[in-house]
Amino acid sequence: MNVRIWSIGVALVIMLSGCATTNQKYDWGKYDASLYTYYKDPTKVGELSTSLAAVINNSKGATVPPGIYAEYGYLQMQKGNNQGAVASFKQEAAHWPESKVFMDQMIKVASAPAHSPQGSSK
Amino acid sequence: MALTGCVSPPPKSDYTQFRSEAPRSILVVPVINKSVDVNAPDYFLATIAHPLAERGYYVFPVNMVKSVMADDGLSDANLVHSGDPRRLGELFGTDAIMYISIERWDAKYVVLSTSVTVELNYSIKSAHTGQELWKNHEVIVYSPQASSAGGLAGLIADAVAAALTKAAPNYIPLANQANNQAINLKGTGLPAGPYDAMFGKDAAAY
Repeated sequence: MNVRIWSIGVALVIMLSGCATTNQKYDWGKYDASLYTYYKDPTKVGELSTSLAAVINNSKGATVPPGIYAEYGYLQMQKGNNQGAVASFKQEAAHWPESKVFMDQMIKVASAPAHSPQGSSK
Repeated sequence: MALTGCVSPPPKSDYTQFRSEAPRSILVVPVINKSVDVNAPDYFLATIAHPLAERGYYVFPVNMVKSVMADDGLSDANLVHSGDPRRLGELFGTDAIMYISIERWDAKYVVLSTSVTVELNYSIKSAHTGQELWKNHEVIVYSPQASSAGGLAGLIADAVAAALTKAAPNYIPLANQANNQAINLKGTGLPAGPYDAMFGKDAAAY
């Protein structure tokens, strides 16, 4: 039961963050903020997609954070770009072997023939 | 020493089970919401992948997982939390599953002062055995009046802070702080994951 009063004072915030690991392993860009914005307003899916692409493109050889390729691929899949989605899912699996079971399944789903995001014909 | 400024640490948690499994990956499943804010689980989801990944774990893509689980009829958080972790383990190939419950996510207004509260329960279960490996509980209260400078200046500062939070209470900094304390505090947080240099070397602290 850790009840701590989180005051407006900046000093306390600095003090608390001093207790914890603060070195960043990855460059997350605007991932957190754009996901939050997307949940507040789902029409802003384009901004989320752009910020995910930026995290990938800005990595320049450094490791892209876990899940980012997959999140980006999933948004591509939702737009009907299954080929792009498969490429992103493959990237996720290649960088993060922990994701392989899930990514292999998603690659299968995205590669399935006659899948149309517009739905069935009349 | 870096720890001098910290609040006195609670007793160290039991990490025996966690150590014996040493999970590499964490799947965050739909969040249970006991607050009155229907949006709280989504907003919270936007805060959790980052700190877990920075602790050294592979974190499954939270938004994609949420959508895929919803497509498979697994959007009911209560049902998912009471289900068998091993079944999810097979579906996603994860080592561990993180279950989060939002206990409080609210703001109280009293004339010139405001307090905003976020309270969370965290639990990680093994996707191989179904056993609980770790749990934590955090309450963060944002209370502008607590730091009031007193006098007229303090009154004005409080009024400004109350107006700001009243217009749009922002829970995200509180959720971030709760996650940070839950995950990163020595003795009660998560041991370093496989992508952290301290992986397997931090037994003294955890």
